[in-house]
Amino acid sequence: MARKRIKVSKGILFTWLLLAGFIFFLTPQSLTNKFQFAFAGIFRWPLSIGRNISLSARIQRPLTDVVSRREFNKLQSHLANVTEELLEKHKKIERLSGMRDRLHALEGAKLVLADVITASIDGSHSELIINRGQDNGLAVGQFVMGDNSIIGTISDVSPRTAKVRLITDPTSKIAVKIRELKTIIQGGGKNSTKVQLLSIKHKVEVGDEVYARKKPGFLDTPMKIGTVAQCKRDDENPLLWDITVKPTCDVEKVSDVAVIIMNPSRTN
Amino acid sequence: MHWFRFAVFVLVAAVLQASLADIVAITSLNIKPDLLLILLVFFAIYCNTFEAIISSFVIGFAADIIMVGSPIGPRIIGFGLFGTALAYLSRVITIKKMPYQSIAIFIIAVLAGTLAHLLASFRGQPSASGVYAFIFGTSLYSSLVGPFLFLPSAWWMRIKADRLS
Repeated sequence: MARKRIKVSKGILFTWLLLAGFIFFLTPQSLTNKFQFAFAGIFRWPLSIGRNISLSARIQRPLTDVVSRREFNKLQSHLANVTEELLEKHKKIERLSGMRDRLHALEGAKLVLADVITASIDGSHSELIINRGQDNGLAVGQFVMGDNSIIGTISDVSPRTAKVRLITDPTSKIAVKIRELKTIIQGGGKNSTKVQLLSIKHKVEVGDEVYARKKPGFLDTPMKIGTVAQCKRDDENPLLWDITVKPTCDVEKVSDVAVIIMNPSRTN
Repeated sequence: MHWFRFAVFVLVAAVLQASLADIVAITSLNIKPDLLLILLVFFAIYCNTFEAIISSFVIGFAADIIMVGSPIGPRIIGFGLFGTALAYLSRVITIKKMPYQSIAIFIIAVLAGTLAHLLASFRGQPSASGVYAFIFGTSLYSSLVGPFLFLPSAWWMRIKADRLS
């Protein structure tokens, strides 16, 4: 039996496809994200290889007698974290002398190492997809480390992959402290973040270290995020600082990360 | 049109765009050529209108899929709209010489990129200050690289060489 062929005009075809586009556009992002996760999951292997090749091509060859800037920053972050941890311990000993000291910063916490499948970093957003997900105990809100410093938080998870919202993403807001000052940083794109609404009566200088503040259940000790790269009066409101924070880790070049799971027994 | 070849081609381009294209990225804005947009212009110029309409929307979907964190839809609409417009335009104006192809890629990239950005903003997607510089840079870079990719694309898609001049 001859099959009847349905003829569709170009106008009808265009209308249908445009309508499909608008349906996708108006569908909640939590649902359409599944397509992006599926793509990253199916093509995990070629995407990882491609990304590693591009990273290795972009990273400059280090000199023989000195460590690379990345390695230096990594060690500096480690030193800063240990120093900060030590200071915290001293404070606690002073305050709570006689009582049992708190645990080591990440003792009891589980660090889940993950490779970056894809990175989407441009002016409008900065996010990664990593090859670990709910099956590995990951959940929304957990902090993510790169080169021993905080680089972002988990914003979405699927069973085998997760999305990391980097601190440089314009929608990212993280509670931080600079010296003893508590404030919030928001992503500014282009590998930088901005400190918001900070009065000039507070003393902040270029080079000050910026730490992510403790967040019960997610982070039990402050951890380094970056350093103050620029500090000037805000052009629009001279009573506020315009502070730019440069992340310690170069998020564009990160190829593997560690997710901090503070209470592994509860999340697994 | 060999649709299986088309599907493989678009998937390979999407994977390359999401990973290896970073090798040739320039400036702090991470500007790199948009392979999928170059393909969009290629199919709009060298296929018939019916095929060009389908390929424009499919390539737009692929472009949305690889953009982690952004909503799906803006590029389907942007690529579909301007890809279709270019397909109709190429029936009237011959776009076979490389400088014209370059100009076509640049214009379509600016228009589709801007529309996609505006639609994404409408969905509440935050935008940074350098986004228009990023669109312009990507369009310029794609327009310089694009015409050179047409010949291998034509070979893979089995489009006769005499259609390319």
